[in-house]
Amino acid sequence: MDLIEVEDLTFQNTIKSMWSKKKITFDLGPVSFNFKAGETLAIVGNNGSGKSLLAKLLVGLETPKSGKIFMNGVELNKSNINVRCLDIRMIFQNTNESLNPGLTLGTILEEPLRLNTKLNAQERISLIEHTLRQVGLMTEHRFFYRHMLSDGQRQRIALARALILNPKVIVADEPFAALDPSVRSQAVNLLMKLQRDLGLGFIFISQNLGIVRHISDKVIIMKDGKVIESGKTDVIFNWPKDEYTKKLVDSHQALVNRQNN
Amino acid sequence: MVLLDIKNLTLEIDISGGWVKALDKINMVIHEGQIHALVGESGSGKSLIVKAIVGALPVRWRITADRMTWKGQNLLTMSVKARRKIIRKDISVIFQNPINSLDPLLTLGQQLKEMLPTDKLTKTWFWQRNAEKQGLAIKLLHKVGIKNHQICLNSYPHQISNDVVQKFMIAMALASEPKLIIADDPTRGMEVIAKTQILKLLSRVNQVRNMSILFVSHDLLAISNMASYMTVLYCGQTVESGELQQLRKRAFHPYTQALLDSAPSFRKDLPPKSPLTSLDGTIPTLYHLPIGCRLGPRCPRARRECVAIPQIRRVHTHFYSCHFPLHWKAK
Repeated sequence: MDLIEVEDLTFQNTIKSMWSKKKITFDLGPVSFNFKAGETLAIVGNNGSGKSLLAKLLVGLETPKSGKIFMNGVELNKSNINVRCLDIRMIFQNTNESLNPGLTLGTILEEPLRLNTKLNAQERISLIEHTLRQVGLMTEHRFFYRHMLSDGQRQRIALARALILNPKVIVADEPFAALDPSVRSQAVNLLMKLQRDLGLGFIFISQNLGIVRHISDKVIIMKDGKVIESGKTDVIFNWPKDEYTKKLVDSHQALVNRQNN
Repeated sequence: MVLLDIKNLTLEIDISGGWVKALDKINMVIHEGQIHALVGESGSGKSLIVKAIVGALPVRWRITADRMTWKGQNLLTMSVKARRKIIRKDISVIFQNPINSLDPLLTLGQQLKEMLPTDKLTKTWFWQRNAEKQGLAIKLLHKVGIKNHQICLNSYPHQISNDVVQKFMIAMALASEPKLIIADDPTRGMEVIAKTQILKLLSRVNQVRNMSILFVSHDLLAISNMASYMTVLYCGQTVESGELQQLRKRAFHPYTQALLDSAPSFRKDLPPKSPLTSLDGTIPTLYHLPIGCRLGPRCPRARRECVAIPQIRRVHTHFYSCHFPLHWKAK
């Protein structure tokens, strides 16, 4: 059974003005895909192709114009927003800016627990400490502030915040873009390990085709709000059909091949 | 011909009472027509080197070097005016983060025209000069592949998409027809197609006009594509430098090897979803620098001797500084 199934999801960004007609500024075309637990889905595309918007629609930050999202066969809509908050968690694009500088990391991690669960203070603390250890930090990091951590550690905190409610799906918006090479492979390893251990579904947006090819099972390629091509990673990278995909894969291959000669 | 020659460049920064060596004995030689890559993670002092070359560092920081010359002229002892003249004429920098390094209050056209050197202009009357400047600016934009020049020249930096601004920065750098272009992370956060365009553009500039490029980045894929010579930095120390082909084939320093391994596209035999090799830990901050070899605490091959700073050793054109290099037995 599919963990997530998306059917004809559309979204329109409009500017409302009092006198003239509604102006459509962005159109996210019908998107449909599905994937199973333990699989990784990558979304690739240009800047401004609506990748982040699609991620936000999945998490429920934006409401779609039409279309349905099913999770384990149950439709997600406004009536069961609580379930969605527990099961689909997001890692935001800029880890540095998405952590509140005025709160300790413990407080940041406690917030989703306080809002979504009925745990008491003691249980919350023990869960926070457990999650911190899970992502490879120490329990003392609970008392730290954002500025005391390095980039890689911040990335781990963002991951911990997504993991703490024990979700089924994690949606990550460019999780590896701001990281340095050696720290990046740590983060990639950590994510793959957690995915193996917990059976997470993982949706991520990335520009780095090397990583996409390495960790994802399925790829969606987007351009100007439309899905151009989607399917198995292996198939798309080896036999791209669309012109744009070809260009994308070729330019990546050109980079890889030239330095092998 | 040697353009830029740096030997034992050391930069000390005063942080809360103590002087810390942010750069520790950097060596670098750039020849004419060469593309030289400078690789390092953030916080390793890449941008500090760039700023030290163009002299954009605060006066209170201590810069010392055995040698820092531009075509034989010593950059450190010359007057500020003379140095600025050299940098205006021969060196131009494409700074990191183009949108932040442009003036938000001026249109791109105004900024580009300001960059044009006055001795290139032939006309004397001001209306002729303006027309000539406009013509030159449009030509430059076409050179870097911006087609709708009128929109570009008339808009402000925030109105234009990121990769076009990056190309525009390259156009600005080309305006004075320099001998050396320093590109500080020009492909950061770009999608693949725009990235290949910019790389092609830079290598074309290198081939057609014989300009040298100092390519500063941590994107190994981009670097191995165009550069011929590579210097690897870690925490302000030069770890290894040599011909790119040689480095890729046989890296002596564990850090270089870790960097090469961290890019999954480098290895074709890697099965999907297998764990990547990586070093534990992160780069230390300036407040907590380890003594001796700064990679020490993270290095898988570290031993007791590593608390002493390793000497630079040499195999042909390949320099490295490590007590226990990889491929040790193979030699």
